Amino acid sequence: MTNLLYRLKNSLQTSRYLSASLIVASAMLSWAVSVSAQVVSDRAATPQVQAQLIASVEAVQPSTEIYLAVNQKIIPHWHTYWINPGDSGTPTTIEWTLPDGASASDIIWPAPNRVSMGPITNYAYENDVTLLTKITIPADAKPGEQFTAHALVDWLVCEAECIPQQVELALSLPIVAAGEAVGASDPRIDETLARLPVASPWEIRATQTAINPETALGELKLHIALSEAQLAQVKDIWFYPYDWGRIQQSGEQLRKSVSDGIELTINTGEAPTVIGESIAGVLVIKELSSDNAAQTITRGFEVKVAVQPAIENATSSIGFFTAVLLALIGGVILNLMPCVFPVLSIKALSLVSHANQSASEIRLQGVVYTLGVLASFAFLAALLILLKAGGAQIGWGFQFQSPLFVLAVAYLMFAVGLSLSGVFFIGGSIAGVGSSLAEKPGYSGSFFTGVLATIVATPCTAPFMAAALGYALAQPPVKLLAIFLSLGLGLALPYLLLTSWPRLQRWLPRPGLWMERAKQLLAFPMYAAAIWLVWVLAQQAGVNSIVIALGGMLLIALAAWLYDSTLASGNHIRRLGTCSALALVLLSLFTGYAGVNSSAANAAIATAGAAEKTAEKNWEPYSEARLAELLAEGKPVFLNFTASWCISCLVNERVALSDTKVKASFKESEITYLKGDWTNRDLAITNFLKKFNRSGVPLYVFYPAGKAGEPAVLPQILTPDIVISAVTNTSSL
Amino acid sequence: MSFLKVAAASLAFAFVSSQAIAEPVIDKAAPTFSGKAADGSTINLADLKGKTVVLEWTNHDCPYVIKHYESGNIPKLQKEAIAKGVVWLQVISSAPGEQGFVDGAKAQKVNEYRNSAPTNTILDPEGTIGKLYGAKTTPHLYVINPEGTLVYKGGIDSIKSTKQQDIPDATNYVHETLEALAVGKKVPHPSTAPYGCSIKYAS
Repeated sequence: MTNLLYRLKNSLQTSRYLSASLIVASAMLSWAVSVSAQVVSDRAATPQVQAQLIASVEAVQPSTEIYLAVNQKIIPHWHTYWINPGDSGTPTTIEWTLPDGASASDIIWPAPNRVSMGPITNYAYENDVTLLTKITIPADAKPGEQFTAHALVDWLVCEAECIPQQVELALSLPIVAAGEAVGASDPRIDETLARLPVASPWEIRATQTAINPETALGELKLHIALSEAQLAQVKDIWFYPYDWGRIQQSGEQLRKSVSDGIELTINTGEAPTVIGESIAGVLVIKELSSDNAAQTITRGFEVKVAVQPAIENATSSIGFFTAVLLALIGGVILNLMPCVFPVLSIKALSLVSHANQSASEIRLQGVVYTLGVLASFAFLAALLILLKAGGAQIGWGFQFQSPLFVLAVAYLMFAVGLSLSGVFFIGGSIAGVGSSLAEKPGYSGSFFTGVLATIVATPCTAPFMAAALGYALAQPPVKLLAIFLSLGLGLALPYLLLTSWPRLQRWLPRPGLWMERAKQLLAFPMYAAAIWLVWVLAQQAGVNSIVIALGGMLLIALAAWLYDSTLASGNHIRRLGTCSALALVLLSLFTGYAGVNSSAANAAIATAGAAEKTAEKNWEPYSEARLAELLAEGKPVFLNFTASWCISCLVNERVALSDTKVKASFKESEITYLKGDWTNRDLAITNFLKKFNRSGVPLYVFYPAGKAGEPAVLPQILTPDIVISAVTNTSSL
Repeated sequence: MSFLKVAAASLAFAFVSSQAIAEPVIDKAAPTFSGKAADGSTINLADLKGKTVVLEWTNHDCPYVIKHYESGNIPKLQKEAIAKGVVWLQVISSAPGEQGFVDGAKAQKVNEYRNSAPTNTILDPEGTIGKLYGAKTTPHLYVINPEGTLVYKGGIDSIKSTKQQDIPDATNYVHETLEALAVGKKVPHPSTAPYGCSIKYAS
């Protein structure tokens, strides 16, 4: 009995709809083939799903693109699946059979919902969904004939139980010549198009911790730069990745407000994103309507960002003191960086030749050097604190955002390199770097070596100290200062130890010719650093800046040579040499300054110009007087009431109102576009909204020409087509 | 060196705190369990050390399961594996009243009808073992090597459909895993996406 029942049930479940629909389908196919003008069925139904093939046109023109779509009406509590079905299930598939030369896109998926049952979460559609496909009509489609599309549609529909179903749908559309009317679109297609996920208007960043080998778990963090006011409107926010296993589908998505937006923390799943690769998906935001608190507007946003390693997560969990310790270690490591190492080795080597100095003198040198480093780091920390207080968005290495600073450091690196190469020696130089090893020590020299070490260390800190500094930047000023000083102390520590512990100095090798060779070798990392900086400069200030930077270096080299070659000459010539060297250095600095400044400005103008071309301002600010004036003149007016915290307003502006076709139609119909900003709840606008029974934004109103009394109100979700048809239909009346 | 200890401790804490919903991890010890079997015996995973064990979550009314039983795909796999000394355990985590729930007698009868002869069938109506393994779908398969290490978790094969005609074209991950284990090779796809009906857990 059980067996029989089992057999019966199975055969029913797997094949009932399948065979029935297949019979119908094959029948339809043969009809379609034998009688091409035959009307074929665009509908099929199973007990759970009514499917219909619908189109964005009533007739097709050759060489155009249209949408065909499968609409599924699903009975309550049942669902079909999104492209990534989540923990179980299978996405719907459509297999198209089209006339020769026509092509179909993949399914264009609307944003899904999540359907959870116990520990299992699915990404699915309930009630009603329209799955769009873009169809290209071939150029040789002959007007007068029919364009017939067959869709073999497979889906899995589940409540608790799951049933795979298959239907074949067909739709024939007459082919008309270009220019002839194509008829109206099915409203379900328009509605779906209007709600498709759009590009995110906010910056989205993704970071992920390393996957713990013991638990196979990691944490993905999505950072979305929503403003605080926009955040207040968010009722629900959920990230749906396109690929299975990128996140734990059934896991929570913890929402946290951070200084510059919102952060979603999600456990990674069984197929986490490889760090450095992209994670793609849809971020679905349910926004409270400002119009009616009970209503929500749901909108999907495309996400595709490279996943960065989340180092800051590790430091924020280790706490302040560990961060300070890590900074100290990091500082010590900085001594080995290619930009710092040459400077410090020379300084350390100078101890070898000063071995006859008193221990206390040497110790004092170390202390002064340490003070130099600490003072520089304190200065940097203070600068950061000030900038932060001023509300600037800064990260470590902020100073490298200035092309001039980059150029100056490149010159410095180059000059230090020349000095190490032996092109010139600066007697008792401020840095003490180029000083001959027998030079008598000066305390000011030690102090400025510390300053120099800090300056040359900064380019190296960015990649290495990102974690501790990222942590520091998020701290209150006192802690930030402490971490920076700790970093500085770390940088100074090796030299400090060396000077304050004479026993260590005995380990230093004996002086000799090798020191000169070592010094010359160490010049090369400095040149490499200079090359890197010129490359950075070129990114910031354009190609011309390379010539300026290299020209400046030529002048510096010439100056160095002049200075050095006249040093041993008589007083007069030496003075002349030194003066002209100085002049050349000043010239290089001046041309560098002027050149890079104008080059950077040009680069900025070029990019700004490009941006302006695409986003040409085509609106005026709204005022009651201006509106009344325009209406009195009988001119057509488009009104947009928006607010910076209103997410759908922002999206509508990006997607629809900035569209080139919309702009063109505004221009063509001579429509004045007025924009009212309700960010601060402007009373005049509030009153205006009331006239339209609205208590919030967005509100879009169109006054056709000469019809001030018959304004048309547009929907709250816009597409270019909605706007264009609203302004063209009514204005042509 | 104390900072290292502090760092290690805090990192460890961060991981432990997120471990609450951990799923079994490939190349780590498979979670041990004991469960009631269809023939009335009690099966203890720990007792099966020394043998390769396959866990197969199933629900005889699920179309995806039907695909692999009506085609003979899973019964054949079971037979071949058992002949080579593998222990093949079906696990049924459907709650009473839900699709796929069976008592011991019915479980055996259903298998008899399907020409399926697993080593045994574990009845898990509370879903304890299912949740312990993070089993999501039927079918959902796990392979544990003789040392008790989890070496495979995921789908039965690579084509996610209910169509029998897809079976010859699909890579059978369980077959592949058992072959790799037999010759001492690395399992080629240790973790894949399972596909099928959701498991009808007691809510």
